[in-house]
Amino acid sequence: MIRPAGALLVLGLLNDACQSSQELKSEQYFAEGYQLYTTYCSNCHQTDGKGMSGLYPPLVGSGQLTEKSRLACIIKNGMSDTIMVNGKEFSRPMPPNPKLKDLEIAEIVTYLNIKWGKDSVFTSIEFVEKSLKDCAPN
Amino acid sequence: MRLIQKNICINFIASLFTLSAIFSCGSENNKLPILGERDWVTKTVDGKEIVDTIYNVIPPFTFVNQDSDTITEKIVEGKIYVSDFFFTSCPTICPVMKRQMLKVFKEIKANPDVMIISHTIDPEHDTPQVLHKYAEDLGVEGKQWQFVTGPKDKIYEIGQKNYMSTAKEDKSAEGGYIHSGAFILVDKEKHVRGMYDGTTDEGTQKLLKDITTLLEEYKK
Repeated sequence: MIRPAGALLVLGLLNDACQSSQELKSEQYFAEGYQLYTTYCSNCHQTDGKGMSGLYPPLVGSGQLTEKSRLACIIKNGMSDTIMVNGKEFSRPMPPNPKLKDLEIAEIVTYLNIKWGKDSVFTSIEFVEKSLKDCAPN
Repeated sequence: MRLIQKNICINFIASLFTLSAIFSCGSENNKLPILGERDWVTKTVDGKEIVDTIYNVIPPFTFVNQDSDTITEKIVEGKIYVSDFFFTSCPTICPVMKRQMLKVFKEIKANPDVMIISHTIDPEHDTPQVLHKYAEDLGVEGKQWQFVTGPKDKIYEIGQKNYMSTAKEDKSAEGGYIHSGAFILVDKEKHVRGMYDGTTDEGTQKLLKDITTLLEEYKK
């Protein structure tokens, strides 16, 4: 990349470094998230995220996916409400995953939203921390 | 000698999941082996001493299915069937097993000589109503795939002793139970003729192949 000399160059370099570190982090989160998804989620939601019959809801196309605060809470605390996903009702409870750390949840949320949502960058640990604080069971 | 032979058979069962090669306990080519512990009795026929083998046989049972009907071994009379153990709230291998079993179900659907019996190992939670909803959500209709519940000790006993499939409560396990992911193939004489890893596609494909082989036996 050719850039004008002086301050602009420094700024440009900084900007580039910043971008690439964010890209790198997104890639790391995505890769880790994929592993975690395979371990903790894909048994029910399937590798392709399409769920299984009327038993387990799909993630692809689900409104719960892009509501990331709620998504983080569901991953951590499980869910027992009846929900509508893509026009179908699901009422089977999802078990909580109390062992998952905030970082791991951030990685899963990142994976899901880059893979099947519209995100191109990672979801931060801070975001997950805040989300979980807001929905912490009493 | 008898003891050694028994050991060979037991070892052989234990290694079934890893070895799907040719079975030494089976007697003829292209015939599936009869699995499980055996016993031998010596009797005299026409003045000659002969040794009779007593094989592991699935004993009579009484369970309740997803339609709240009482079912017994009569439901599989004159049929071969596949059996497994699961529970509806299981977060680990059951969804994987059920996905594989769905493939089996689709293959055997056209054949009234084949059935599936899935036993719950969590009968307190998995009532006939719960099983009914589960079957429905899985997209299973009709009587060919039975989801059964019953007294816990009876399910565990038949599971461990006759289907040779571990099933027990374990509070430390995720979901509260541990059980094997095996699919068990049973013939019309109630002998176990094969055990397969129900968590993998390879295991399921092997089962489908063996179902065909076993059905061939009855055509002759």
